Amino acid sequence: MTATERQDNARSAGAGWEPELEELQRRREFAARMGGEEGVARQHAQGKLTVRERIDKLADPGTFREFMGLVGSATYTDGKLESFTPNAAVNGFCQVDGRKVVLNGGDFTVRGGSGGSAHGGLGMELSASIRALEWRVPYIRLLDAAGGSVRSFEDMGRTYLPDGNSFTAPDIKLLRAVPVISAVLGSVAGLPAVNACIAHFNVMVKGTSQLFPGGPPVVKAALGYDVTKEELGGWEMHTSRSGVIDNLAESEAEALGMIRTFLTYLPGNVWEMAPRAECGDAPDRREERLLNIIPRNRRRAYNARHIVDDVVDRDSFFEIAPGYGRARITGLARLNGYPVGVMANNPLFGASTDVAAGEKVMRLIQLCDTFHIPMISFADEPGFMVGMESERAGIERAGARLVMVTCDSQMPWATVVVNQLYGVAGQCQHRPTGMFQRYAWPSANWGSMHIEGGTAAAYRREIEAAPDPEAKLAEIEARLKAMASPFLTAEATGQDIIDPRDTRRLLCEFVEEAQPILRSQLGQTSMPYHP
Amino acid sequence: MQGRVIEVLVAAGDSVAAGDDLVVIEAMKMELPVQSPAAGRVKSVSVVVGDQVLDGTVLVVLA
Repeated sequence: MTATERQDNARSAGAGWEPELEELQRRREFAARMGGEEGVARQHAQGKLTVRERIDKLADPGTFREFMGLVGSATYTDGKLESFTPNAAVNGFCQVDGRKVVLNGGDFTVRGGSGGSAHGGLGMELSASIRALEWRVPYIRLLDAAGGSVRSFEDMGRTYLPDGNSFTAPDIKLLRAVPVISAVLGSVAGLPAVNACIAHFNVMVKGTSQLFPGGPPVVKAALGYDVTKEELGGWEMHTSRSGVIDNLAESEAEALGMIRTFLTYLPGNVWEMAPRAECGDAPDRREERLLNIIPRNRRRAYNARHIVDDVVDRDSFFEIAPGYGRARITGLARLNGYPVGVMANNPLFGASTDVAAGEKVMRLIQLCDTFHIPMISFADEPGFMVGMESERAGIERAGARLVMVTCDSQMPWATVVVNQLYGVAGQCQHRPTGMFQRYAWPSANWGSMHIEGGTAAAYRREIEAAPDPEAKLAEIEARLKAMASPFLTAEATGQDIIDPRDTRRLLCEFVEEAQPILRSQLGQTSMPYHP
Repeated sequence: MQGRVIEVLVAAGDSVAAGDDLVVIEAMKMELPVQSPAAGRVKSVSVVVGDQVLDGTVLVVLA
């Protein structure tokens, strides 16, 4: 009789698998303690939740199904389990508002989140990112980890080449397959800081989260100056200056709420249609305010957010990156229940597309294209931002990329020209292919160039040669302005000019007509999503 | 964004409603009305026409 047969016999004689189940239970209990009482207390003292508390808040009750929860390091006495420390990551499936997602949460209480997961070992189970990719469900990272640590050199007895791309590659594929969201919920450095941006949407928490490739001690060593982690990589840096993080939350609960809200506009993957919500808002609702929202005094600014709010379904607008590139409002909303991307030039911040606003627009176009969501744009574009600062930021290259993303997109797109439309930035409100509709309000005015400013350049010789150059300039400007009525353009091109109060009805109809087109475009699109 | 105050529409003691224009600032060739975020009484006005103002400059204090 072999040993196995003897054991089998012994078990069938009465001794069951209960001891193993007890050990499984003990291991799970150890894992639930995360990095231990002290680490958990420190986490709470910093005003942060633990990874398991975060998951409890985000997941629908009772839906979390952990995987790879038994990975970690154990100690044994006489072959019996003595203690167990889990890896610095908690992974699993769960439902968010009834829809399945994969969660990957860093656990700062275990070694500061470092060495979060063993990757690529022989026989290793599928990673969270690969499961999200293959199961075709959204992927959510709850980042709270410091990235690589030199301590791992001591564990390994050697150093290693930075080959992390072997396990980052699936994260890149995810961007073209399923919604990916990163929440930065602590001080995040190294790969986790980059992972914050390998996403379609990201959010950080005021005061408790920062991100950088290397923190203050690394800055001190490399550049010799002192800086706090909040100055270096806090919310002011990243939600308004760098644009690395889209949205700012006042608390972790608010950040998790934003993740939930963002997901409501998106399909589970690119092979599915975005979910339509119930809509109690009449598609033919007319807002009187829209009639005169554009001041006749063209120099007087107005709040473009009012246009968005008046047109889309009541309270359906979710703004993305409100603190960055403020010349353009970007976000997601609904029209008659259907999700749409929305953008609007914002005259309160100059309206001119600068590099920051352009980056936001490119990401929104790519988001809509990837997930088959129609684009709605309210255009009031004076042209690309001019001046020294804009040149330093590289406005022409950003402009070239914006033209490319615009032309390469395929989702149905409607632009409403509410006021100005000038130059190449104005050109980026038009796509010459696919389902594209443009409406103009009676307040609209357009051209390759502004008449003021443009006249002096184009008629320079004629103006200089005139006995009274100023009078000549005024005369030519008056001549050109007489041609600026949108009705003259409409006579020649068929441009539709509409009553602003009909905008909602027309756009609701457009989005309804777009549905069969969107269905025919399901799947992965030819344009990649660039983070 | 930097701008110049071109109109001051309220004075200390005035009652204002939410959405009322308080001050108009000119920047980038555009006139930007600054509106009252809430109803109240103007306690003080910190700028005069012609002042250059920056993001964060206090314009009007409401009581």
